[in-house]
Amino acid sequence: MKIKKITCKEVADYICETLAEDINSPHCIEIKEHLEHCDVCSGYFKSVNDTIAFYKNYNVEPTDECHERLMNYLNLDNLTNKK
Amino acid sequence: MNEITSNKFTNNSELELIKRAQQGDRKALAELVKLHERTVYNFAFKICRDREKAEHVMQETFLSMVKSISQFSGKSKLSTWLYTVVSNHCLMLARSEKKREASEFEEETSFSNSITSSDWKYTPGDVAENNELRETLDEVIKKLPEDYRIVFMLRDVEGLSTKETAEAMNLSIPAVKSRLHRARAFLRDELNKKLKE
Repeated sequence: MKIKKITCKEVADYICETLAEDINSPHCIEIKEHLEHCDVCSGYFKSVNDTIAFYKNYNVEPTDECHERLMNYLNLDNLTNKK
Repeated sequence: MNEITSNKFTNNSELELIKRAQQGDRKALAELVKLHERTVYNFAFKICRDREKAEHVMQETFLSMVKSISQFSGKSKLSTWLYTVVSNHCLMLARSEKKREASEFEEETSFSNSITSSDWKYTPGDVAENNELRETLDEVIKKLPEDYRIVFMLRDVEGLSTKETAEAMNLSIPAVKSRLHRARAFLRDELNKKLKE
């Protein structure tokens, strides 16, 4: 039986659809094997993961004043200890 | 008032707070606000990229929660419900500002041209202390339309499932996948340009 070789586009499309989902499916195993031998796809895969990680690592917190304004806006001041 | 039941998502102490809040206990309500305040503010900032707007969106989100807590059924996590509300307030704010300027984002963002190497001068770990990098991340994501931005943030950054993201955005699952694909490709390509400079 002739096996169709998976293309870079198929790999990336599949990664985009299934990242973090069902990584042990036969299709995903095939993808992982492809990635091990394809610098272009593995580079792309890494850069998509890095893109997500950049935004995951960029976090902000409300200030104490912002928290007080919120509780005041909701008329819930003085009902809990401060942050 | 809906009867809320325990589910695998909501821990017992939060469930207790929700029940008390539904019975009119304002202290429980305040505790719920405090529990989710950071998550809601951080998410609103990630969409609005502006502290003042994030604060406004957070206030409106919790006002919605205070008004509607009695209708919360407990079928989903309270945090998932809040993501839905905060996403809607972000979209409403964006629409009210009519900021739909001509965007560099193209509906037909094509994947085929975007397989290029990426040897960036920063790594994701550099974000916390690097203002220049933060400005770049802000600049790049602002080019993405809000509805695409929200899908990317809910699914990839906050870790909601595709189904939860679809429910929060009132979209079909294929529509979420399509937007996610385009958003990732766009952000990755824009960062590729900027972070190589």
